[in-house]
Amino acid sequence: MRPGGAFRQRGGTSHFVSRRLATPARGSSAAVMASPFSGALQLTDLDDFIGPSQECIKPVKVEKRAGSGVAKIRIEDDGSYFQINQDGGTRRLEKAKVSLNDCLACSGCITSAETVLITQQSHEELKKVLDANKMAAPSQQRLVVVSVSPQSRASLAARFQLNPTDTARKLTSFFKKIGVHFVFDTAFSRHFSLLESQREFVRRFRGQADCRQALPLLASACPGWICYAEKTHGSFILPHISTARSPQQVMGSLVKDFFAQQQHLTPDKIYHVTVMPCYDKKLEASRPDFFNQEHQTRDVDCVLTTGEVFRLLEEEGVSLPDLEPAPLDSLCSGASAEEPSSHRGGGSGGYLEHVFRHAARELFGIHVAEVTYKPLRNKDFQEVTLEKEGQVLLHFAMAYGFRNIQNLVQRLKRGRCPYHYVEVMACPSGCLNGGGQLQAPDRPSRELLQHVERLYGMVRAEAPEDAPGVRELYTHWLQGTDSECAGRLLHTQYHAVEKASTGLGIRW
Amino acid sequence: MKDSLVLLGRVPAHPDSRCWFLAWNPAGTLLASCGGDRRIRIWGTEGDSWICKSVLSEGHQRTVRKVAWSPCGNYLASASFDATTCIWKKNQDDFECVTTLEGHENEVKSVAWAPSGNLLATCSRDKSVWVWEVDEEDEYECVSVLNSHTQDVKHVVWHPSQELLASASYDDTVKLYREEEDDWVCCATLEGHESTVWSLAFDPSGQRLASCSDDRTVRIWRQYLPGNEQGEVHYLSCRGGMQRLLTQWKCICTLSGFHSRTIYDIACLTGALATACGDDAIRVFQEDPNSDPQQPTFSLTAHLHQAHSQDVNCVAWNPKEPGLLASCSDDGEVAFWKYQRPEGL
Repeated sequence: MRPGGAFRQRGGTSHFVSRRLATPARGSSAAVMASPFSGALQLTDLDDFIGPSQECIKPVKVEKRAGSGVAKIRIEDDGSYFQINQDGGTRRLEKAKVSLNDCLACSGCITSAETVLITQQSHEELKKVLDANKMAAPSQQRLVVVSVSPQSRASLAARFQLNPTDTARKLTSFFKKIGVHFVFDTAFSRHFSLLESQREFVRRFRGQADCRQALPLLASACPGWICYAEKTHGSFILPHISTARSPQQVMGSLVKDFFAQQQHLTPDKIYHVTVMPCYDKKLEASRPDFFNQEHQTRDVDCVLTTGEVFRLLEEEGVSLPDLEPAPLDSLCSGASAEEPSSHRGGGSGGYLEHVFRHAARELFGIHVAEVTYKPLRNKDFQEVTLEKEGQVLLHFAMAYGFRNIQNLVQRLKRGRCPYHYVEVMACPSGCLNGGGQLQAPDRPSRELLQHVERLYGMVRAEAPEDAPGVRELYTHWLQGTDSECAGRLLHTQYHAVEKASTGLGIRW
Repeated sequence: MKDSLVLLGRVPAHPDSRCWFLAWNPAGTLLASCGGDRRIRIWGTEGDSWICKSVLSEGHQRTVRKVAWSPCGNYLASASFDATTCIWKKNQDDFECVTTLEGHENEVKSVAWAPSGNLLATCSRDKSVWVWEVDEEDEYECVSVLNSHTQDVKHVVWHPSQELLASASYDDTVKLYREEEDDWVCCATLEGHESTVWSLAFDPSGQRLASCSDDRTVRIWRQYLPGNEQGEVHYLSCRGGMQRLLTQWKCICTLSGFHSRTIYDIACLTGALATACGDDAIRVFQEDPNSDPQQPTFSLTAHLHQAHSQDVNCVAWNPKEPGLLASCSDDGEVAFWKYQRPEGL
């Protein structure tokens, strides 16, 4: 045995007990302790309790000046650090800050991003804001807006044995009861996400000759997928990802820009909460791209999962079915809001179907009534083709779940991806099966998912082009469909994360 | 006991480096070794000595941790700390890297081929186990990503005849996986070891699984199928009140007190097993002839102190030549041994 053999036995420092949340993982690996984040994010060490062998991407950047030898560091009473140069001069050192968003980007972190996120965006935080509102003078109060996703609504409907319309109305009733001012539906903002995706595809398809990276175009609504792509494949994959914002973030623009103007408020005076089927959406909300520098406010202040709303209902002692249904709010005064609306094409938003049908029409003049899916290696990987006279005009796919994302990315890297567009989602079975959805211990999970899917599908589907209020908003709020405003408010950017090598890396 | 394990020869397989792992090809004619020098070497016999027939040096950027031959013997897979797995195709004495499997977040710790030759498993410090499928055109696709372990996964091994996969981890457990509908699931977790489980080996019949650990014990596990004669019955209470008979794995034997340091590897023959230990020794245990198959007992029949000058990382029985054992060590050497079953056993 060589000296230092003990070094081999345990790599890390102490053996942390994983503080996982109660929600077990969805999908096949029925682990007892599991992270609530999607599989794609789990693999990127977002919730890792790390020993020193992991690498931190946030090294403290020090400006090296030539000739500055060894420096001394003095700690002041107030905790600030001063560097004392050889000539006696002092320089205040900047604190190394690890923000929530660094946690987002990091592939190995000192604290758990999970815990940080949960405390900063939770139903507790919402309650604090609502309580603060009660105590505050009118000029200090914030307008509280909640935007509910159709997937969360379907999950709650299943749990409480209600239809989607009643669920929407009773949720509105509940939120207003606790002090929320407006309750919106992200199916409305989804119209914009779909329209922008459709337009972007047609533009890129037409421009294929000029740009090698134009196609395939990959959907952008899923933050689990985006974070994974930024961290793992960086500059290779990012040019292929649609720049269209997700419904959550379009709603952020709508609420903090359009609606704020309507209410004669600055964006920071609005506290915008969204209700989403997964935890990954919390990360999306905290991206710097969705932070309004001018008013120092986020487009979405707080994301609650369906489960957290359920907990909120319990803590408030409210039985949702017993509430009186309230009328639904609408962002457009003209639009009637008797019942919620949705989109065709499945529980993850319908990106494939909308882009496909629009492209068939715009590019080839073909009207597609029903989209036919062909399952491939597993049910989370299916393809759709548009053929005419034996020629394949359009070849699209949906790839859900990490293993299918893997295969897609690897094929892309090898130049063997046959698709023009892929709807990519991190969760197997899509958003209706997100890690933040409600579970029923007394029902097999597959049966519950099917029930949620049925409830989701019950809501009447609307074509985004025909939805009331959308055209008007493009004209009056965005000043046109391809305007600078539309680009700024309906689109976003992606940033590859470079892994820095630091001394913390112990190589085995 | 002194004569039961005889040294046949040594080769400096990975000079100035560690030799991490060894694999005999299915025909038993070649031995692949891999090490910290990022190389894989293929050894064959020439008369009485072992010579290096090939060096595979352009495949990996960091340590090669494990190598595995495909059941047909035409392919070699290598798992590396550079987070990739290379698939090499054998063309007489030449090996060509035909594919590199990417996807693991960090160091790949092990690779193993399923008995059918169509599936491959890899595992990594990123805590996941991946199952890959290979088609007729040598294209590999990821079939499943399993995140059951909570820590670094050290080793994966397939059942000799079924599509059942086992993994060993720094989280002190062994997990078993099989395909269910269109995905792979963890169907059992074997708990009992008190520290990192470093390696696993099925016995040739596939009825037993042996594991070895940093807790200095070897555990033997046995599968109890539904309807087994021992009356071992286990139910899974599903949501919805449905109950399903599960196969259960029970620890039927623990070998403790024999090893003074971490046991890094284990290799099984019918009725015998060899261990590679951090105390530089190789041990062989034989199952006692009259022991109860449900509660077997083993005796230590060979204990070679200083088999190497440093930690022994791997032991591997030749699949064709009975008693021929290869071992490798942190000292960079590969050694060949002849094991003679002691009289009376």
